[in-house]
Amino acid sequence: MTEAAIRVEDISFSYGDVPAVEGVSFEVAPGEILGFLGPNGAGKSTTIKILTGQLTPKSGNAQVLGVDVTTDDPVMQAQIGVCFEEKNLYDSMSGSENLRFFASLFGIKNLDSDDLLRKVGLVDRANDRVSKYSKGMRQRLMMARTLVNTPKVLFLDEPTDGLDPVSSQAIRKLIKHEADRGAAVLLTTHDMYEADELSDRVAFINEGKLYAVDTPDNLKLEHGKRSVKVRVREADGVKERTVSLEDATAGEELKAAVGAAGLMTIHTEEASLESIFIEMTGRGLEG
Amino acid sequence: MSRPVPRFTIIGSIVRKDMAEYGRDKLWAFLTAMVLIAVIALFWILPNDVNESIGVGVSGLDAPAALAALETIEEEGLRVVPFRSAQDLEAVVAGDAEAWQTEGQAVVIAPGSDPAAPDGADKANVAIGIAFPDDFFASTAAGQRTEVTVFVDAAVPDETQKAITSLVREFAFVVAGDELPVDTPDPDEVFVVLGEDRVGSQVTAREGFRPVFVFLILVMEMFVMASLIAKEIQERTVTAVLVTPATIGDVLAAKGIAGALSGMVQAVIVLVAIDSLFPQPVLVLTLMLLGSVMVSGTAMLAGSTGKDFMSTLFHGMVYMILLMIPAFAALFPGAASAWIRALPSYPLVRGLVNVSTYGDGWAETLPELAALFAWSVGLFAVGWVVLKRKVQTL
Repeated sequence: MTEAAIRVEDISFSYGDVPAVEGVSFEVAPGEILGFLGPNGAGKSTTIKILTGQLTPKSGNAQVLGVDVTTDDPVMQAQIGVCFEEKNLYDSMSGSENLRFFASLFGIKNLDSDDLLRKVGLVDRANDRVSKYSKGMRQRLMMARTLVNTPKVLFLDEPTDGLDPVSSQAIRKLIKHEADRGAAVLLTTHDMYEADELSDRVAFINEGKLYAVDTPDNLKLEHGKRSVKVRVREADGVKERTVSLEDATAGEELKAAVGAAGLMTIHTEEASLESIFIEMTGRGLEG
Repeated sequence: MSRPVPRFTIIGSIVRKDMAEYGRDKLWAFLTAMVLIAVIALFWILPNDVNESIGVGVSGLDAPAALAALETIEEEGLRVVPFRSAQDLEAVVAGDAEAWQTEGQAVVIAPGSDPAAPDGADKANVAIGIAFPDDFFASTAAGQRTEVTVFVDAAVPDETQKAITSLVREFAFVVAGDELPVDTPDPDEVFVVLGEDRVGSQVTAREGFRPVFVFLILVMEMFVMASLIAKEIQERTVTAVLVTPATIGDVLAAKGIAGALSGMVQAVIVLVAIDSLFPQPVLVLTLMLLGSVMVSGTAMLAGSTGKDFMSTLFHGMVYMILLMIPAFAALFPGAASAWIRALPSYPLVRGLVNVSTYGDGWAETLPELAALFAWSVGLFAVGWVVLKRKVQTL
């Protein structure tokens, strides 16, 4: 059995008297992407701060690459990459200089910054100061910065927030690539489509509590209806009917529908991650 | 990657980054350059001589005996300028004419008139004029009352005017051949100097401003560092650094080194340019290094407490005023008040004044060095703790 890259056991944290994370437990294996799904203020960023050593949990235990996160272990920190929600880059430095500076903190002397910038589509602007970058460009540079040390564990806090669809797709492709090379990825987002597309498993978090940790398919199967909705144009108008996949005659009914001359659409009645989230927490993801 | 990155590598990277950011901040780079140029230029523009005597013009005394008697006046610290006539004297004191002193009597030239000042003559600044009547000696010796006219410039203080009047009476008393009822055989027994005796080593305006200028450079450095620290906190770039192998100790050490380094470099430039580094370069540099550390600590404080550019500037101004007080106090002779001596920058200013102006060495400067060391370490520690707490709460 592969040892978890991230192991979280019953951690809690509060800002003063306000609880931010309560009894959260989960694991992320190498090469796995865990989508941390929840609305703003749910506890996603606090969890990442705890796991990256920025906050100390009030209780519980968290390990990254087998090292207790409260120990501030430099060897462990040399093997993680963090993409923050806020665009905390050095504006007076160029994209290339930003990458080289952070690489130097990892002891990397000869970083191929152009290669990283090429991956995020910024190689043509490598020598421009970050102050001249657009919001999307800054976000892409943040992603490139996360990868300067070829990390074994990636903490990505809303990495596609505010990006145009093309840039978002490029970042998602990059995240997939990192997971494919073996990096464990903890991805926080409130974008259910992103979570669905990228995540091997998703974790629902709301008001500091974890409600579910499972694969998107399992969640959808568990919470969705096993039925198909068929719309057919007939002489007296458009007719819609639902075929239950639990019924023994479902196969025959679907075969007939597919063969029908006026078939318009066939849709599964699978639940979306958002509807499951609302069902479980009573709160929407955009809240 | 299994070996930790050496601390000095991390700290060195952050220092280089800080220095690059400093150089690219157009506002601070411009202000720093301006202050450097202004300080050096001002220093050399300021007068480098001391003229503590008041010019007193005298007319109506031609006899050799009178010149001997004038020594009485010169002993009072006044510079006597003999005039040919009371009219000339009045015109010069009133500012309607200029007086140029040769070895003989003063040459009076009305502004704009021809000929110009004679060769080799010094301009005589005459603020007070005493016009003795032509029969002054005869009348005084005969015990007859006579009238002496005293001209004073409007800017001469009332106390000085009264003192001159008393001086004229005393002079007349001496001329009449009477003995004064006060005997002062040995001045050293009468004038007891309280505090440090700097008689004979008066400080010129240029010398007086030296600590102000040097300290101004350090204060400028405080603003720059405070601004960089505040920016790093406000833009949360420090949190990005802290999730790498860099620790908060590395960040703070780098800030201290960057602040002290840039402060030192600028201070050395100014010290060399204003001819203040020698003959005790190691001692002066030690003082400046400790001062830079103190200022770096203050910058951490100001940078941590400021929420934006303006509030950082405000906090910086408060610290600047407090730190600058001893430097300005050094402009005026006499011992500083107890509360000024209690300020952290006092030992630095005092040390700089004593070393660069009076030529003190290590032994004489030891008390200032010890006090400055304590203040620098203390302020740096306070700045470190406050900044650390600030970063941890981001």
